[in-house]
Amino acid sequence: MNADKKIIRIATDVLVIGGGTAGVAAANEVAGKGYKVVLTSKEDKVAQETKNGVIADMVAKAEANADIEIMKNTVVAKVMGVPGDFAVTLKTGDKAVERKFGAIVVATGLTTKVLNDAYGLELGPKVISQSQLEALLAQGKLESGKTVAFLVGFGQDGNPLVMERVLDSLTALGKVAETDAYVFVGDIKLAADGLDQLYAQARQEGVIYFKTTDAPKVSVDGDAMCISILDPVLRQQVEVAPDLIVVEEAILADEDNAALAEPLQIEADKNGFLQPDNVHYFPVKSTRLGIFVAGAARDLLSVEQGIQDAGNVALEVKKFLGDGNLEVPSNTAFVDVDKCTVCLTCYRCCPHGAIFWDSRAIIAEAACQGCGICASECPNDAIQLGDYADEAMAKAIQDGQGTSGKSPWIVAFCCKNSGLEAVNMAKTFGYRVPAGLQAIEVPCAGKIDMDYVMDAFVQGADGVMLLTCHNGNCKSDKGALYASWRAAEIKKMLASVGLPEDRLVCASLANNMGRKFSEISVEMERSIKKASS
Amino acid sequence: MIVAEKKPFDEISGMLAGFDKVLTVGCKTCVAVCLAGGEKEAVLLNKELMLARKVAGKPIETGAALVERQCDMEFLAELDDIVGQYDAIVSMACGAGVQFMAERYPEKPVFPGVNTTFIGVNRDVGWYEEKCRSCGNCLLGVTGGICPITMCAKSLMNGPCGGTNQTSCEINKDQPCAWYAIYKRLAGQNRLDNILKITEIMDWRNNVPRTIVQPGYEQRKAAFSEK
Ligand code: SF4
Ligand code: SF4
Ligand code: SF4
Ligand code: SF4
Repeated sequence: MNADKKIIRIATDVLVIGGGTAGVAAANEVAGKGYKVVLTSKEDKVAQETKNGVIADMVAKAEANADIEIMKNTVVAKVMGVPGDFAVTLKTGDKAVERKFGAIVVATGLTTKVLNDAYGLELGPKVISQSQLEALLAQGKLESGKTVAFLVGFGQDGNPLVMERVLDSLTALGKVAETDAYVFVGDIKLAADGLDQLYAQARQEGVIYFKTTDAPKVSVDGDAMCISILDPVLRQQVEVAPDLIVVEEAILADEDNAALAEPLQIEADKNGFLQPDNVHYFPVKSTRLGIFVAGAARDLLSVEQGIQDAGNVALEVKKFLGDGNLEVPSNTAFVDVDKCTVCLTCYRCCPHGAIFWDSRAIIAEAACQGCGICASECPNDAIQLGDYADEAMAKAIQDGQGTSGKSPWIVAFCCKNSGLEAVNMAKTFGYRVPAGLQAIEVPCAGKIDMDYVMDAFVQGADGVMLLTCHNGNCKSDKGALYASWRAAEIKKMLASVGLPEDRLVCASLANNMGRKFSEISVEMERSIKKASS
Repeated sequence: MIVAEKKPFDEISGMLAGFDKVLTVGCKTCVAVCLAGGEKEAVLLNKELMLARKVAGKPIETGAALVERQCDMEFLAELDDIVGQYDAIVSMACGAGVQFMAERYPEKPVFPGVNTTFIGVNRDVGWYEEKCRSCGNCLLGVTGGICPITMCAKSLMNGPCGGTNQTSCEINKDQPCAWYAIYKRLAGQNRLDNILKITEIMDWRNNVPRTIVQPGYEQRKAAFSEK
């Protein structure tokens, strides 16, 4: 064990939210690693996708596993506590129980929205949605001898999942006697595995495709329906009079995601999926430690992809929970209770959901990643972060003034994950770096307090640089963003005290961008020298 | 809570033009919570002042302190020992705190560091909304918990004006109509009869400087006033 690490005990039970295939698969895999699992489903069943026997086997396996407790008709009502020690209230009907979990896996599903408005159609007995058709086919209720027309890819941007549903229905339709199928396809992608094959197979079985960019004209006149389209191959108008029109559906993130994101304190993306578009979180991490996302909870993913996620989830869960002895950095943030006024700023800003409160803010050691965003935002300076406490930072700035002695004095606050590496690389490779450059390490750009920057100027720095990770590549997700917001504020301050705004540069760098660092620092030096000459 | 905003820097530095030793005092409660006048803002203001004065060639000495609540004399008293070292004080508290500070140290010039803006709520970090104008005669019981004095552009107390566009106010379509919101809220609670209740005209004369004595403390106040 490292000297700057310590061990704390955490809970090891795992909650899996979502009784779809991804949830069942994750429960099986996590239990397989030796953890006790509670699997909740908001419905009175689990994994109903009846695509194949693999899923039925998975469900049977979960039901037979003594380490998996399946709670049906159950929803998450409240989540308190922190990673390693979550207290979750689960509600089954009117009955509520509180359980402790070390980690949580979110495996919600997808929901659909029928796009009849895009075609100017009203749903009815002869105009039905893709979901309605699937239900009819599953129940064997579709009459034989019908002409069925699919409208797909004109109401939305193409997505392989949308086309996959149509192709699955075509396969099922092939088994209904004397059925003719026409598919009118707009912008659609067939990128998913096996879709090409399904497409070709349906074609061979006599399904007729029309692929055009313009949406077909659909007229409904009482019982008579007609779809007409300019066939791009034949270059002539084609008309089809179907008995049944099937309208495509948009596939969207589960409506429950937003309601879960809040108590779980994880970020949802703009489409309502629970994983931000940031490589550090792939494949199955959420923005919060100890909370993982599988399958359609994290992106528009198919049932198969959801099952594939289960293995990764189990690995991540094991990596986090281990045997219940968690090694944490001793450099976690610490609240001075006398200064804290429970303004909740830190709680609301922490990207890792590591802060809760009782009469004062409390930071959970198991969850804090030491980014320092909270410390830099606290209005009462009540939070200090291990080696990077305010006093140590002030001293580092002051020391630079004495030791450098070179002019102009440029203080660069460098995120140790990116900016600092870039600076070191520039030095190692002998790229030009200003003689008066002083690099000060911060654990994350989120730790660069406005006060440090102003302090550097007051101490006599001629220029200050904030070197952050690229947005979307920040290990704390929001550190670079906070730094850029603060930089904008400080520029206003510089303007109001009569200093040129270019004395402050906020730049995002990857750790291998030593060349770029050299360019911007030399440019800053040049502009400072020019102004003072 | 009381919500304030930072005063424009030029205004503050203008007020402090003749002073070379300044104590900036944050207030740990309302103005800290709304990120305008806590220790962080006090320290930052000092840095800004020092930098501006340095650029102008007229250096300034600054000190920073944080007080639990500047609207309580006992907490202000904690400053007694240090105030003497400074020529002027900037209070980052709301207007009440600034005045109490000025009352405590009548011989010292005390300047406001923030503009006290309203009584409001915290929507998110740094985002506040006005909710109450402290009218002194709260109507929320009949208005479904929505304040028409604050929310209605005309502070109407008995239903909307003729300019209402149903959901929005006539002054601006992004401003919701208070009375539409009140109607919806009451309808949802089956309390629409409330909307027919007439609220008597507000005695705005009560908007003179007010003093409140909480029930049960009248005698205590009388005893103190005699002293
Ligand atoms: S930001 Fe500071 S004052 Fe506010 S709750 Fe957190 S520790 Fe307390
Ligand atoms: S240092 Fe970062 S991770 Fe730790 S509590 Fe503060 S904001 Fe959260
Ligand atoms: S002085 Fe003003 S800002 Fe400070 S606690 Fe009192 S009311 Fe709130
Ligand atoms: S009616 Fe409005 S302004 Fe008056 S006390 Fe109530 S909330 Fe405040």
